[in-house]
Amino acid sequence: MMLFALLKKDFLIVKKYVLFMLIVAVIIPPFMLWRAPEFTGVLGFMLSVIFVDFMLLQYVSLKEYQFPKAATLLCAMPFPRKMMVLSKYIFCMAIYVICCIIFGIETLIIPKLGTSNIKLFALMFLVTSVLISVYLPIQYKLGYEKTRFAFVVVYMASPVILPLLMKMEILSLNFLSMFSPFLVNGGIVIIGFVVLVISAYISTEIYDKADLA
Amino acid sequence: MNDILTVDGLNKSYGDFSLTDVTFSLPEGCITGFIGINGAGKTTTLRALLGLTGTISGNIQFFGLDMNKNERQIKDRIGIVLDDGGFYEELSLAEMKSIISSAYTSWSDQDFKRYMDIFSLNPKQKINTLSKGMRMKYALTLALSHNAELLIMDEPTSGLDPLIRGQLMKILKEYMENGGKGVFFSTHITSDLDKIADMLIMIDNGHIIFQEEKDTLLDSYRIVKGDVQSLTDNVRSLFLDISETAFGFTGITKQVSEVRHFIPDVIVERPTIENIMLGNIGGEK
Repeated sequence: MMLFALLKKDFLIVKKYVLFMLIVAVIIPPFMLWRAPEFTGVLGFMLSVIFVDFMLLQYVSLKEYQFPKAATLLCAMPFPRKMMVLSKYIFCMAIYVICCIIFGIETLIIPKLGTSNIKLFALMFLVTSVLISVYLPIQYKLGYEKTRFAFVVVYMASPVILPLLMKMEILSLNFLSMFSPFLVNGGIVIIGFVVLVISAYISTEIYDKADLA
Repeated sequence: MNDILTVDGLNKSYGDFSLTDVTFSLPEGCITGFIGINGAGKTTTLRALLGLTGTISGNIQFFGLDMNKNERQIKDRIGIVLDDGGFYEELSLAEMKSIISSAYTSWSDQDFKRYMDIFSLNPKQKINTLSKGMRMKYALTLALSHNAELLIMDEPTSGLDPLIRGQLMKILKEYMENGGKGVFFSTHITSDLDKIADMLIMIDNGHIIFQEEKDTLLDSYRIVKGDVQSLTDNVRSLFLDISETAFGFTGITKQVSEVRHFIPDVIVERPTIENIMLGNIGGEK
């Protein structure tokens, strides 16, 4: 119940931007089909998830930065700090799920976007997990201002990194084709989940020791 | 009388500032004022009590329970009012309440609605449109809507006009009459405490200076006025603090009979809490 309330809080404090970002998530894959057809499908989906997830997380962090005593008040109440941290991870994964649903519907409407399948969603889960698992502990350690720089670097580098990842994915698929798809997809999801758990543990340890404003 | 809060040997370093061996207790059934000048350590102490900042050492017990082992259970029984509220300003009152209410096992929507009505607060209004007084009333509404046994408030009257401060004092009195076990609030506006406090704790430079019942405290100090010519070194040593002008001196002392022995014709007056606070930190020296 408390976790749900904190998740709701994150959506409420950025409610002005949520609708706009969902529209962006809808637009990016067809836009890629129009402007860069060779990167349509997986790359468009990746770009939409990373962009929307990080932008909304940035807005949440901005609001927490603008009203630092609000988090202090919640921690003075029975909300455990661990839950405050977990809600951020769940928020990011909720955005990921929403982006998956949007892309899934789009591929049904626009077949040229490619097909959405479990493998694609599992891979994107891993990518999202790794990115937020690196980003959030850094933000808890360094604060919003300093970490914003890291966000800009990731965003600026994404057009270069994503095609590289695409190539790596092809190699990986060749290697992994020896195993059953269920095993591969399950393995990818489990790895992503383990990365998230380790990152959430580190973030909790950092936030537990923080002196609040 | 049971203690609802005991703090024993609390130490905390914070840049150039440190809380040193902070020890005090809050008896049940009392409104306790936590006084001190700005930067004395009031807010740091409250934050340490609520686990918002780490401590080097010390033991904190609420309702006889160790804070380290029972934090969630204890916080469920405490109402919190922070200086300036501590809200997400762009949310409406109803939205902020919907987040906070889920934290408490004994949340009462009925109480929340009652206080919202008493304070004429509109649930649809955005928090950033509230005046400082209305914001404090909203913070108090949230703190009083979950059957809190203890209210902890950080500078609740700071920046409020006398009318709203008066309303706040009235609500606190009603809270105690309706079964509240205690109120602990920090302030540097001591005139509020003259009206409602039962107990006073003073902190200065991270050290607890005294913990006394208000009436005992007011009885044990006196303001003394007299001729500067009669101030010998012996007499000066009897005062905590003396201010001198061409017309005479005004000092605060705990040894009024000794002062009278040396200067029989002095004028003696009952002090205010502010006089005692400033006397103890030598603020008027």
